[in-house]
Amino acid sequence: MKKLFLLYLTLFSFTTFAQDGPRTDSYRKWYIPDHMKLQFAGNIGFMSGGPGYISRNKTLETDVLFGFLPKKFGGDALITLTTKVTYSPWRIHLKNSYNVAPFSIGFYSSHTFGPQFDSQWPEYYPKGYYWWATAIRLGAYVGGKVGRKVKFANKIRGFEAYYEVGTYDLMFISYLQNTGFLKPADILSLSLGLKMTL
Amino acid sequence: MILKDDERNLNVKNVALIQALPQKDTTRFILMGDTQRWYDESAGFVKSANSQHDISFVVHAGDISDFGLSQEFKWVNQIMQQLKYPYVTVIGNHDIVANGPLVYKKMYGELDYSFEFGNNKFIFINTNSREYNFDGLVPNLPWLQSQLKNNPGDKNAIVIAHVPPFDADFDPKMQEEYARILASDPNVKFTLYGHQHTFKNEEYYEDGVKYMTTTSMGARGYLVVTTWKSGYRVERVEF
Repeated sequence: MKKLFLLYLTLFSFTTFAQDGPRTDSYRKWYIPDHMKLQFAGNIGFMSGGPGYISRNKTLETDVLFGFLPKKFGGDALITLTTKVTYSPWRIHLKNSYNVAPFSIGFYSSHTFGPQFDSQWPEYYPKGYYWWATAIRLGAYVGGKVGRKVKFANKIRGFEAYYEVGTYDLMFISYLQNTGFLKPADILSLSLGLKMTL
Repeated sequence: MILKDDERNLNVKNVALIQALPQKDTTRFILMGDTQRWYDESAGFVKSANSQHDISFVVHAGDISDFGLSQEFKWVNQIMQQLKYPYVTVIGNHDIVANGPLVYKKMYGELDYSFEFGNNKFIFINTNSREYNFDGLVPNLPWLQSQLKNNPGDKNAIVIAHVPPFDADFDPKMQEEYARILASDPNVKFTLYGHQHTFKNEEYYEDGVKYMTTTSMGARGYLVVTTWKSGYRVERVEF
């Protein structure tokens, strides 16, 4: 997880200074995040949020989201840490201050914490007894977003609202094997989020 | 994920429905199990089960879910609610992974429980020892003994669990004692299990007790069990 995170940082964060607006911190350190995200739902917590980085050409985002599912909505309180990578190849700049990224595709890996979740099964199971790890979920999604530049806290910042429709490994395999009983809508879920450029 | 009212405490609710049925000398019930990730096949089972006659209830022998996810429990309950009969469950090893036990307890109730119907006492016991690292507490043998002992009407004692004692997932240190407890009770003639995804019917310990397993939903089969005071009959059905 940590290694993966560092890899993402190395790959995508060489150049994070602004090319699209006046910014005073053009020479900030490579590890300073480019943006923050706040997300509702999406199988990684009722609410999740955290820092993220964007590639030089502004198409590839990598986020680290800390998620929380309250007992009230989950039946159990759960905490997750998610790394997600989102690719939005096209951005359309509208005549007003808005811009639209009509299509995004991405994947995530989430880790759920708690003694009942394992990333490696204890040694009292024969090897391969259960083939999946309960703590780690891999998911994928498609979506889109709309953005606008706004002056906020003495800086012109980009704000974006996005939606994503996705599923994760265990739901996907359940669907593949039961296309009679399960409909795509049974395994897909909608998430909504906000992004603020730092 | 939050459970709805008709997804809560189902075993207690369904036992009440079963016990409200007219009592007859002969009881017929279905033993099925291992619905885990076989929703299409489980829906096929419901169709087949509903075409059987004189069935009082259905027993799910465990592995309701595959990954211990609440969504899976909900889907299986949705399917089982299409049965013409009430159904009761016993917990399987797959229902114990992740937050499975939390969901199972809310949706179905206790892991060990019993009820009487007609000439029978049905005893459901958690035998998924491996999930507890073979800690010597699962299955709960003192509880099993007390359940068998507390049978003043000498009803047929029918012990139902997920993992059969001769399986590697049953605590090997407890296997002999478990079999001895069953064999030493004259009211125990046969005992029922799931887990092995195959039909079996053998007197494993040569002690007069028949050990039977039903197959999985993936193998599209189940058992119809008929019991009366002095005997029983078990039929295998494939759908």
